[in-house]
Amino acid sequence: MQDKYTDDLLEVNELKMHFPIRGGIFQRQVGKVFAVDGISLGVGKGKTLGLVGESGCGKTTVGRCILRLYEPTGGRVIFEGKNLLGMDRRNLRAVRRNLQMIFQDPFESLNSRHVIANIIEEPFIVHRMGTPRQRRKWVYKLLERVGLARDAALRFPHEFSGGQRQRIGIARAIALNPKLIVCDEPVSALDVSIQSQVLNLLLELQQDMELSYLFIAHDLSVVKHISDTIAVMYLGRIVEQAPADDLYEMALHPYTQALIAAIPIADPSRKRDKKPLSGDVPSPINPPQGCHFHPRCPFVIDLCRQKEPFLKVKPENGGSDHWVACHRAGKI
Amino acid sequence: MKLNTLTIKKLRRFYSIKRGYYAFIFLGLLILLSFAAELVVNSRALIVKYQGKYYFPTYTDMIAGETFGLDYAYETNYRELKANFERKNDGNWVLMPPAPYNAFENDLRSDSAPALPPSWSQRHFLGTDTSGRDVLARLVYGFRIAIFFSFTLIVSTYVVGIGIGCAMGYFGGGFDILFQRLIEIWSNVPIIYVVIIISSIVVPNFWWLIIIMVCFGWMGITWVMRTITYKEKARDYVLAARALGASNVRIIFLHIIPNTISVIVTYVPFSFSSGIVALTALDYLGFGLPPPTPSWGELIQQAWTNFSAWWLGASVITAMVLTLVAVTFIGEAVREAFDPKLHTVYE
Ligand SMILES: Nc1ncnc2c1ncn2[C@@H]1O[C@H](COP(=O)(O)OP(=O)(O)OP(=O)(O)O)[C@@H](O)[C@H]1O
Ligand SMILES: [Mg+2]
Repeated sequence: MQDKYTDDLLEVNELKMHFPIRGGIFQRQVGKVFAVDGISLGVGKGKTLGLVGESGCGKTTVGRCILRLYEPTGGRVIFEGKNLLGMDRRNLRAVRRNLQMIFQDPFESLNSRHVIANIIEEPFIVHRMGTPRQRRKWVYKLLERVGLARDAALRFPHEFSGGQRQRIGIARAIALNPKLIVCDEPVSALDVSIQSQVLNLLLELQQDMELSYLFIAHDLSVVKHISDTIAVMYLGRIVEQAPADDLYEMALHPYTQALIAAIPIADPSRKRDKKPLSGDVPSPINPPQGCHFHPRCPFVIDLCRQKEPFLKVKPENGGSDHWVACHRAGKI
Repeated sequence: MKLNTLTIKKLRRFYSIKRGYYAFIFLGLLILLSFAAELVVNSRALIVKYQGKYYFPTYTDMIAGETFGLDYAYETNYRELKANFERKNDGNWVLMPPAPYNAFENDLRSDSAPALPPSWSQRHFLGTDTSGRDVLARLVYGFRIAIFFSFTLIVSTYVVGIGIGCAMGYFGGGFDILFQRLIEIWSNVPIIYVVIIISSIVVPNFWWLIIIMVCFGWMGITWVMRTITYKEKARDYVLAARALGASNVRIIFLHIIPNTISVIVTYVPFSFSSGIVALTALDYLGFGLPPPTPSWGELIQQAWTNFSAWWLGASVITAMVLTLVAVTFIGEAVREAFDPKLHTVYE
């Protein structure tokens, strides 16, 4: 799938993040966590890519590698035609104006020692923009934009609810008018009643500012409505990727099928023929041989245990944008 | 600047721990009082009225005896001057501090040999030591020096420790490993012996002692700081700052260090008491500040060799115990009030 994403705003190519496990008095490397093990993605201008997978499969790591918050061990991250990996600090800083992140936990992502005004003002200070007075004006504008009152400016993060804090995090992320925002489960820490408000805010902002999102979530129900394309991740790899509707209509990978089956259904006429998943995600320190999913797969055959399946277009005669990594795709 | 409500909460909790709070007030008052010690324990008069003019000798240059009609040009002996004026009774008077002795003068008498027991009439409230110096004055000025010593020591060790520890935790890598091993080795050097060896070569003054003690005492807080920094730097708010493109300097000074303060604070009282104890121990052994600097350690040493002069031991041990217990109470309360473990549980 090498040339598929070349026109995209963000193109991730064979990204690998193997965290070293260190030990001994000289902190030598004694093992590896295969958190992300060769992932390719593309996010188009103004589009949303949903990245879905169970806890621990490496979603956060992908997001952080894209922003170079972690130093990936391999692959390429191409943003607006430039590879971010290996880019020096100065150039990278310029790129950061266009590439931002919203964090999963709104209680952790704001510095509890700073007032909201300082938190939202920080992007401008870091990029040496505006006078203090201008910056204050911008801060008020941003607060208003994300639906918070002006008097929030001089309060501290813990005086706000989770949803309000997430709005503050969003204000900080959009401050510099970025082109792409990595949203790392931005609503999963929030009450269900507030989730849709924050999601709607993100959708509005996308419309107004022509934002692209890499939207990370751990279940399909959240990304379903907001994604153009959905990629399903399992243990450091992508197992299936397709336009959102396609994925729902005809999921080909047994893992995706299980995820879809796990969505609570409002429509009782839809039949639930697939069983939900059993078992846990294996450790990324010792991923299983062959297909990573085989120990939990109800359709496993010998080939799955021996040979790793690669992402292929299905159906093979082309014409679609549905990719799946399963030996038995289409036959189950 | 507005105080963070979390900080206010911590201060409230400190206030609610009465034992620590009162110990804090007690020690705070003692320290304040010791800064104004010249007004309470001093051989110089507070006010002299002589021939219609007022003199305030406490903080001025020395005033020669001739000024007050005495027959010598060296510093006036105000106790004698007071006795003089009272005898003559011609409108001149002297107001002495409550304890009219300083820490250095030897109050030797023809009728008795030091150490003299406590005497209210002679205003030696805690007696004199073996050289005839007022014990109260030695205690008070010794306390002031110990406080100042401890405070300077804390500031210097913390600057060094926070600097190195922060760099270790933040940058990690070879620098971190190198310093980890260095600290492990360095921590096994017995600091008191090193000071003793160095003191036997040079006579250490105040700053020498500070430098030596910092050299061998920076590891504790460095280790603490390394651990917290290491944890803090992986937290999302730091990652968010990095995602914005903030520089390392900005992240360390504006993000990480402010978040470590509440942990650092819990170590201060204990560093404070260990500073006092270390200085006292060195002075006791005779390797601390050079004589005749007033010092508790030297008093303990005198008490040890003069058991019959019970007031020496009684006063210095009482003072020591009171101070250390107060500091410990404060330390416990601070730890309880500021312990961040309680605060990471979100409601
Ligand atoms: N800094 C790190 N050092 C070592 N291992 C790490 C590090 N960060 C993550 N991992 C490991 O990498 C794997 C993937 O973690 P990651 O946080 O990316 O998962 P996730 O899909 O975001 O999960 P969640 O839904 O719980 O957020 C996990 O096994 C985790 O233990
Ligand atoms: Mg995550």
